[in-house]
Parts: sequence; C-alpha cells; structure tokens
Amino acid sequence: MRDSLTERQELAVPSNSAASEAVPNVRTHSWLFLTANLTEERFFLILSVFIGIFAGLAVICLRLAIDWTSISLLGPAPSPHTLAVLLVPAVVGLVIAVLVIHVFPQVRGSGVNQTKAAFYIFNGRIPFRTAVGKFITAALAIGSGQSLGPEDPSLQIGASLAWVIGRRMKFSREKLRLLAPVGAAAGLAAAFNAPISAVLFVIEEVIGRWSAAILGSVVLSAISSVVVVRSFLGAQPLFRIPPLATVHPTELLAYAVLGIVGGLAAVVFAKAIGYFRPLLVALPKATRYFQPALAGLMIGFIGYLGAPQVMGAGYESIDQAMHDHFTWTVLAGLAGLKILATTLSIITGTPGGMFAPTMFIGAMLGGAVGGVERHFYPHLTGTTGTYALVGMGVLFAGFMRVPMTSVFMVLELSGDYSIIVPVILANAIAYVISRSLQETPIFDLLTRQDGLNLPSLEEQREEGILRVEDAMKLPPAPVLDSRLTVGEAIEQLQGTSSDVFLVRSAPSGWGSLNRDVFERVVNEGKSGATLASLLPAQPLPYLHPDHPLEMALRYVEQTPLVPVVSRADLGKLEGIITGEDVFARYRVATGESP
Amino acid sequence: MRKPALEPITSRPPVVIALLVLLALVGLFCVGRLVHHFQQEEKALARQLYWRSLREQVAGKEDLAIQHFRAALSYDRDNFEYQLALARALVDSGRTQEAESYLIGLWERFPQNGEVNLALGRLAAKEKSLDRAIQYYHNAIYGLWVSDAEQNRVQAWFELIRVLIGLGARQQAEAELLSLSANVPPNAEMELRTANLFAEVQDYEHALTEYRRALGSDPTNAAALAGAGEAAYKLSRYRTAAGYLEAAAKARPQDAQLTQLLRTSQLVLENDPFNRRISRVERDRRLRKIFQDAGQRLDACIEAGAPQTSNSPTSSDLMSPLKGRWTKMKSKLGLLGTSRESDLPDEIMDLVLQIEQQTTACGMTAKDQALLLLAENRAGVEQ
Repeated sequence: MRDSLTERQELAVPSNSAASEAVPNVRTHSWLFLTANLTEERFFLILSVFIGIFAGLAVICLRLAIDWTSISLLGPAPSPHTLAVLLVPAVVGLVIAVLVIHVFPQVRGSGVNQTKAAFYIFNGRIPFRTAVGKFITAALAIGSGQSLGPEDPSLQIGASLAWVIGRRMKFSREKLRLLAPVGAAAGLAAAFNAPISAVLFVIEEVIGRWSAAILGSVVLSAISSVVVVRSFLGAQPLFRIPPLATVHPTELLAYAVLGIVGGLAAVVFAKAIGYFRPLLVALPKATRYFQPALAGLMIGFIGYLGAPQVMGAGYESIDQAMHDHFTWTVLAGLAGLKILATTLSIITGTPGGMFAPTMFIGAMLGGAVGGVERHFYPHLTGTTGTYALVGMGVLFAGFMRVPMTSVFMVLELSGDYSIIVPVILANAIAYVISRSLQETPIFDLLTRQDGLNLPSLEEQREEGILRVEDAMKLPPAPVLDSRLTVGEAIEQLQGTSSDVFLVRSAPSGWGSLNRDVFERVVNEGKSGATLASLLPAQPLPYLHPDHPLEMALRYVEQTPLVPVVSRADLGKLEGIITGEDVFARYRVATGESP
Repeated sequence: MRKPALEPITSRPPVVIALLVLLALVGLFCVGRLVHHFQQEEKALARQLYWRSLREQVAGKEDLAIQHFRAALSYDRDNFEYQLALARALVDSGRTQEAESYLIGLWERFPQNGEVNLALGRLAAKEKSLDRAIQYYHNAIYGLWVSDAEQNRVQAWFELIRVLIGLGARQQAEAELLSLSANVPPNAEMELRTANLFAEVQDYEHALTEYRRALGSDPTNAAALAGAGEAAYKLSRYRTAAGYLEAAAKARPQDAQLTQLLRTSQLVLENDPFNRRISRVERDRRLRKIFQDAGQRLDACIEAGAPQTSNSPTSSDLMSPLKGRWTKMKSKLGLLGTSRESDLPDEIMDLVLQIEQQTTACGMTAKDQALLLLAENRAGVEQ
C-alpha cells in the first residue's frame, strides 16, 4: 500500500527540477508525511483501535481475576451445605464496603450510568482510579458469589481506559466526550465476546444517536477488543450453545407466551430494585458498611440451602440450563431466586453488572416456559436450549429496554439466524409489557435515584418529531417564471397583496423578489428586463416536506420565506414556510396558543 | 498546589502512535503469559476434578461424579474427554435428555467421531428410536476411532445387532449380521459371537457356517461345538448335529440340554425309516417300531388323563379318534413290504405326527422328540 501511494505521488509530481528534488524527501519521510497530515478524525479512529486493544487486555485480566477469586474463596466446585458458600460472600462484602466507602467511592453499582454521565456531564472523564477500583471490587464481589456480572464493570473500565489514553491528546470537546462510549463499547464487546451487541448497546443506551463518525470509532474499538480477547481466550461464546430447533410457525404462540412471562418478570425485577434501593440509600450512612455483607449473607444462605447456581455471574448454570440439566420447576425456582439475589446485590450498591444476571434469569425463565409448554404440548419442537436462548433476549428487552441489542445479542451468541422470528416476537412482547407496566427504564430509574438528570434515550427515541410539512402553508401569491419580463410579472401579480414573490428558475433553482424591486425597475423604464436578470446570484435555499422542522430554523433568518419543494421534482412547489410559521408550530407543540 | 498543565501531544502523532504500539505489545505479551499460566492451572484443576469424578463413578456416587465432571468442564470446557465422560455419566444416571444435548454438541464438533456416535446410538436405542439408533451406530461403525479402530467398529456393530434384535427388527439385524460376518476378523471369539447372533435371529444356515469358522480358528471350542450342533439340529442335519454335539458333550458333560439334543439326534438317526442306506426290511421294522411307540404313547397319555393341550379345548375328544385311527392303521401294517403298500409309510408317519403333536402335553422324552422330528421331516433328515 505504501509503495502504491509513493507511486501515485511520483506520478503527480511535475517535471520541473524543484519538484524533482522534493521526490526523495517524500519517499524518505512518507510515514512522517502521513502522520503529520492526520486529521483529528483519523487520529481518533487510530486511537479507537488502541483503546480497543487495551480494553480487551483489561477485560481478560478482569475475567481471570474473577475466576481466580472464585476458585480461591469458594473452591473449584462450590456445592451446597458448605461453610464457604454461606460465609464468603458476607465476609468479602465487608471488605468491599470498606473499599467502596474509603478508597474507591466512584465504583458503586453497575457502571453503565457512570459512563453515561461521563459522556453527558464530565466530557468523557472517568478517572483511572475508578477503573482500578472497579476492577478490584468487581472481581471480589463476583468472585465471592455476589449475584452480579462482569459486563457492566468491563464497560466502565473500558471507558476509563479510553479517557486515560485520550486525555492528553489535543482533542475537541466532542471527541473527548466520545472517548467514554468508544471505551465502553470496547469493554462490553470484550466481556460479551459479541461486538455487534456491544456496539448496539452503546449506541442505544449510552449515546442514543447514530452518526458515521461515532459509529466508526465505536465499531473499531469493539472489534479490536474482541480480536484481542478471542486471540487469548478463544472465539467461543460465554456458554456453549446447543443445536437449536427450527421453529414451526404454530410454535410462535409458545414464544409469545415466553414474551409475556419475560415481560412480567422484567417488571417485577425492575420494580423490586426501584422500590428497595432508595430505602437502603436512606438508611444511616454507617449501615453502608454492612449492606453488601448482609446481601452476601443472604445470597450465601440461598447457595447453602441448595442453589449455589445463583451465586456469581452464573454462566455455567446458563450453559447447563441450555443443555437440559434442570427440570422446568428447578429452572423457574432458579429464575426467582436469581431475581432476589441480584436485587439484593444491586440495591446494596455492590460493584458489579446486571447483564449476566439478566441473561441468567432470562435463560432460566425461557427454559421453564419451554419445559411447561412441552409438558402440555409434547409435539412442540423447540428444545430447552432454544427457549433459554430466546428467554435471555426477552429479559434483556424487557429489563434493560434495549430492543435492538436484545435481538442481535441472541443472534450473535447463537450464530443462528433461524430463530430470528421467535426472538423478535418474544422480545417485542416483553418490551411492550415492560413499557406499559414500568414507565421508566431501569438505567434511567437508577440515574434519577442518584440525583443525576441524564437524558432518557428511550424517551428521546419516542418523542414525536416535528417536520416541515407540519408548519408549511400554501404560497399566497402565484409562483413566477424567471423567463418572464417585469411587465408580464406585474400583470400576473395583479390582485395579490404579498410583498415577496417566489421565482422559479429553470431547471430547479429558486429565488425571491420583493414588490419594491418591481416598482424600482418599472420606474427606471426597464419593464422588458427578465426576472432572471434581477435575481441575486445566490439561489434561495429550499426544504422538503419531510425535513425536521428545526432545519427550517437555519434558513428562516436568512430569507423571509423558504420554498418547500417536492423531492421527486425540485421545480414543484409544495408550500412555503416562514419564521413565524415555525415558531407558531412549536408553540402549538408545547401547548401554548399559536 | 496546582498541577502543571498537560502538554498536548497530538502535534507529534508518530511518537504517540509508536508509544501506543509499544505499550500494546508489552501488554499483549504480559497478558499472554498470564493467560497461558492461568489456563495451565485451570487445566490441571480440571484434570484433578476429572479423575476425582471417575473415582466417584466407580464408587457408585453418580451425582457427585456428575457434579465434578461439570466442574472439570467449567475449567476446560472444550475438553472432549470430559464432555463425553459427563454425557456417559448422565446416560447412566438416566438423564438422557441432558446427555443427548451434550452429545449433540460434541457430534456437531466431531460428526465422524466413533465414540460420540456410539454414545448417541446407545441413547437412541434407550429411547427406542430405531432409525436414529441405526444412523448413529452406522456412523460409529464407519467413523473415526482414536485407538483400536477395528475392534471398536466390530464391537459397535455387534451392539447395533443386539439393539436391533432387542427392538424386534429381526430382518434388519440379519442384514447387519450378513455385512458383519464379511468383516469380522479371523478370531474365534468374534466368529462365535457372530454365529450366536445368527442363531438368535434363527438364521441357522449362516450360524452353522460361522460356528464352523470359529472351530477353524479353535477346533476345541466347546461353545462353538455346541452352537454348531444346535444349528445343525435346527437345520434337521442330525448326523452333523450328533457329531458336534457329541464333541461338545465331552467337553461339557454336565450340560443337560446338550445331552438331550445329542440323545434326540441319535434317536432320530437310529429310527429314521427313510434312510436310503438301510434295507427295505429294516425300513419296515423301523416303521413298525415307530408306530408301536406312538401307540404306546397315546395309550399312556389317555390313561394319564389326557391333559388339555393348547391346541385343543378337550384333548380327550381328539385322543379317542386318534386311537381309532391307530387301531385301523395297525390292521394295515401287514401290507408293509408288499407291492400293495402304496402310500402306507407316509400315512403311518402322518398318524405318528398327529399323535405326537396331540400328546405333547403329556411330556416329551428324547424319544418322543425324535419321533416328532422324524414325522415332521421324513425325507428331510440328513442322510
């Protein structure tokens, strides 16, 4: 590539001697030449790759740390009725509380909202200390059996590393802000081993909008982090996906039931967190030393009594559920216990994520619903693995309220497109139920409880957008042809009271003339002059009916009226819009009188 | 104290990029070492858990073994050996659905693996799914084996045939046996097993051939001798049967069934009136003796109360006409050996056959069995 570039440069060099002297210079320093001409945009893209690499390395270390902590504290095969299972989460909970209160106060909770706050409030800033703290406390919490996952901490660690790498660069504020989502995507992609889902989640939940500039950086960082993780830990997903059954159309009804159950479970889960979390926050500050420990004790007790599966991230249990290890009653019980255990961990502010528990609950519920349905309708072809997989997406859609991510997550994890229809159907049902019964999405709820006022991306997404067609009106005077003479134009305009007239120039240009211009030309005795000769050199800007209304604001200051033309025929006038029309429409939208 | 302002360094992108590349290389190296070390530790831990599970399995602690197989897999999740061991343990503990799920996962990764296909075949057989069982067993037979491929393939084949017999698919079992017999290595034990299976599906012709092959490898093999004798007996080749059975009985003098078969075969040979090697006088003598023996048996049975047989609701109702026919036939015996005997030998044997059939409920001695066989086979008895 470098050779071909040099070749092209050679061809472009003029044959004079001065230029000839410059050629060896370009050849010798082509690398410097390239780097010296890096725009901020390109440099940011390059940096995104490095952010991805470092985030990937950090996430690998986090996974190893969690595994090592778990083996060391709970043993290689945690089983019920052992003291370690009962006591370790509680004892480690005390350590975590001390660390969170005295050493790393910014690491409470999942990390998604903190990353979102960094993007919207702190210009992308997440201090390195937060990454270190999150790493240590999340490894301890998850490794000791708290019902949390490593994905959200990975997301925050990635965002923090991005800040550490990019902070010294002379980036614009916009780019500095973008560091957080770029790093977040890298961290999440590495933790999930699923780059598409990570990119979609960050776009859906953190950034909330699409643009080529953002997408390029986010995708690059996500992919580079996944490449790093896969080269060290392998390309396999977090759990082994069993062969999935092809879904018969009549079976969609069964998946619809799964959507309903998943939607209701998501509401219960979100409402439990939303209700209990403020209650615990309101308790005296001294109790915060004991809250994670108490949560740990209760989770340990659940494990001690016979359900150690609910402890930790639970990937092995998801794997087992997918492979028909549990009966439907056990699956349903595990789903309920996991909701309880995760609620305990989250409301006490223990550092760790909600992704893995959500997947766990979804997989168990899916398996349970599949089991019940197969019990009563044995002809159903769906395996437990298929239902569990769809169930994961269902809870994701209902609890996290990220419908696109939920669909792509299932597809990406399974690598099987054949289940897309049940996934979309069940996810959509769960999403609709969750939205109907739980007004505020969980991340927005937590943000508001923490006193932050970050934009709700779901609300933003669903806000009705006003368009030009909502404010435009019919032109009050006929449109003039630029080939008409002034005399002919005045004849056409007889009986109209407008002061400004639109002029159509062949083939698709537009202009406007004031009545006083006509009067001046007539007075000068130039009635035979064409309108084209009177139009200013700069053509009039125009809009289309489907343009957002805010776009009209850019033009109404420059010109008294803006033509609104058809997209199919730029010479066809659909209407006109003025500044007054725009503001009148906005007043109507906000409930004021126009 | 105020910190000094950070110097922007994007004005020197080559330096920044070089620095980042260097840091990335160092990071990749260090994390690579860390991952390698950790994975080695995890694999060692998985191996420990695996051995522990095997010990628990031997000790009959199936549930604990399964739990530790799972734990082993969580530390070395792609390990073929552990996955297969877990699946087998699950099959043994009756959790077939879960086992199948694991095995299908393995099968997707190693569709030609003999062990996986064999395990899936066993599972399908357990679920009485004939087509799937045949498919997986065939995959196992023609699949890849890590060691002892020939031996394992033949074993899988035997197992498939046993499954087919068990599921009542006799014709398919026979077809498989015919293929197998062409591929069985020259080994007395294998040939004997093949022969036994042929006998089990009542293909005595092939069974006899296989027993003979087995005897070719091991002429003193008592099981092969007995099997060959029994197969020959079933084929009505009583002379051959007697030869093999005699040799087998020497090796197994306590085997009552063997002795019984030998005795019956000998009696058939001794009493066969249709033997072409005997004189006409001898034939008539044998016919008369058979006829007399049948008559005595009929009398004894009537005297004993003519117990009901499965063939007739009231055997005594049938015994009396038989007795009448016997008495009538007795008067014709004088015609034997004369030019007017016509079909008399066949008529005598027909009556003997009916008497023996009707009196089975009175108990069958070797002699009765022999008479029955003689009456049934007549010209079919091996000369």
